[in-house]
Amino acid sequence: MGKKPLFNIFELFVLLLKYAKLSLKSILEYKFDRTFITIAIVCREMISVVVMFLILVRFVHIKGWEYNEMFFLYSFLFLSYSIFVLFFAGMRDFAEMIYSGEFDRVLTRPLGLMYQIIASKIDLSAGLGHGIVGVILFTKTAFSVGIDWNIKNIVYYIVILISGAVIQASIFLFASCFSFWTVKTDNLRNMIFFNARRFSGYPISFYPGIIQKLLMFVIPFAFVNYFPAQFYLNKAEINSFWNGFLYLSPAVGAIMFVLVYMFWRQGVRHYSSTGTSR
Amino acid sequence: MPLIEVNNLVKDYKLNVRKKGLLGSIHSLLVPEYKMKRAVDNISFSINKGEMVGFIGPNGAGKSTTVKMLTGILVPTSGQISIGGLSPHRDRRKNAMRLGVVFGQRTQLWWDLPAIDTFELLRYIYKIPEKIYRQNMNLFNDLLEINEFMSQPVRQLSLGQRMRADIAAALLHNPEIIFFDEPTIGLDVIAKEKVREFIRYINREKGTTMLFTTHDMQDIEKTCRRMIIIDEGTTIYDGTVEHIKESYGTSRTLVADFPEVIHSIDIPGVEVIEEKGRKKWLRFQKDEVQVSNLIYELTQKYGIIDLTVQEPEIEGIIREIYQGGIKIDESLCRVC
Repeated sequence: MGKKPLFNIFELFVLLLKYAKLSLKSILEYKFDRTFITIAIVCREMISVVVMFLILVRFVHIKGWEYNEMFFLYSFLFLSYSIFVLFFAGMRDFAEMIYSGEFDRVLTRPLGLMYQIIASKIDLSAGLGHGIVGVILFTKTAFSVGIDWNIKNIVYYIVILISGAVIQASIFLFASCFSFWTVKTDNLRNMIFFNARRFSGYPISFYPGIIQKLLMFVIPFAFVNYFPAQFYLNKAEINSFWNGFLYLSPAVGAIMFVLVYMFWRQGVRHYSSTGTSR
Repeated sequence: MPLIEVNNLVKDYKLNVRKKGLLGSIHSLLVPEYKMKRAVDNISFSINKGEMVGFIGPNGAGKSTTVKMLTGILVPTSGQISIGGLSPHRDRRKNAMRLGVVFGQRTQLWWDLPAIDTFELLRYIYKIPEKIYRQNMNLFNDLLEINEFMSQPVRQLSLGQRMRADIAAALLHNPEIIFFDEPTIGLDVIAKEKVREFIRYINREKGTTMLFTTHDMQDIEKTCRRMIIIDEGTTIYDGTVEHIKESYGTSRTLVADFPEVIHSIDIPGVEVIEEKGRKKWLRFQKDEVQVSNLIYELTQKYGIIDLTVQEPEIEGIIREIYQGGIKIDESLCRVC
């Protein structure tokens, strides 16, 4: 139709920065509280890391994995989660927007809906908390597990972290979509997400086939950390999986996002035909 | 050509009928039952550029649903809305550029930040040129005195201050049309007056088209010439405020203070509607009973210490319309 868009890419980018600035300013209003949340997250996660460490040092390796490699695998979870809550916290907390009526306001703005949702929120505290743990694990392990950090490997590493963030954001947005039909799913979502994440703390080869399949095809956490880590570690057990999985994380992220986005559009359509609850 | 045209607008809601109790809620989860509710039933009206129109009606009459359809939040079940040639939901973003929306019950300001931060963001959201932004900020400060609280976090503002900031925020991009959803709710008399004065000024100076929904008849009387009354999803009146007063406000009340307690007053056409000590409230129709005759008669019979004559307030008339006491004449509906 050749319609001229209301905003060009540059304007959208500048506006994104403006939103980010306000989000950060809001967080700084509660410096003390937010700092404590960050510290609390770091403590909580570090305790699980330490416990894992204490158990693992007793063994030289489990099923061919030594503990440095395990923690390298674990670091993907933290770093990708950190990116997810820094950039896509709006997708995580979208259900709240529906309940509070804030979504009505979003609909009266001359901007895209998904754009506004992503732009309107940054969870700095959680981002930092998980980020710090992730960076600690990464720096302790990344240089002692035999990875050659050349340009190609660095670029793919960044791509893979973003893919992991998008996969997790999609899971959260999927759950949030049910609020369009006024169904609360927060608890179900938390149960599924955090249990899957806990499983992913260890290589999926440790688990029976059914759980492996679950983590690959249903809640695809295997693409957040196992296959990405294997891309770098190249442990022999990878031969029991199709080799292509090593490169598939970006595709999984993209496909999941597109599917969830389509479901979300359906939700928006339902919302504007019912206005929910009332 | 009118700026806003609404034709045969209908909105049905599908309500999930929930049953009581645990078994009931499991049942309705598995076998959902729906009931259709028609919130807006065939409403048509048109509004010209620069008009100020009050939307009134009891709770649940369909006002908010209509406003939500006009702003593009809800999609109509059937019927057409055209706002300057655009459809609010199909051309949502383009239409949004020209609209300002004030929800009295909800703020669009960032709660933890000074209002000025939201204003700065809006400048980019609506692509407001620097010059217009400055002009408007000065104007809003002159009329609403927003500068005195602009740098305090919004959560610390009084309701009146917050409302002023919210209205200014909605007007920052010089919208052609503004929707006010209960803009004076919860405000004190002075704050209300300030808001109304500002709204009148903007309408006069900028020619902005304005639509209100409110429960406060004073809002309508002091700002709008035209009002649309909605009840049970249909328009029951669309015309001027004066017209409805002339047609239905024909009763007068004489409040008289007598020298002693009087037990009954027997004058044809006069009804005692209230009494308190020696004071009585007497209602009569102005075209049946002449006020001068009534006063003369009362003075002759009982003597009067003090008296006032009250005109019915629009509020009273509207109350009677809502309660079904006044049936609006078909012919009245399309007077303007």
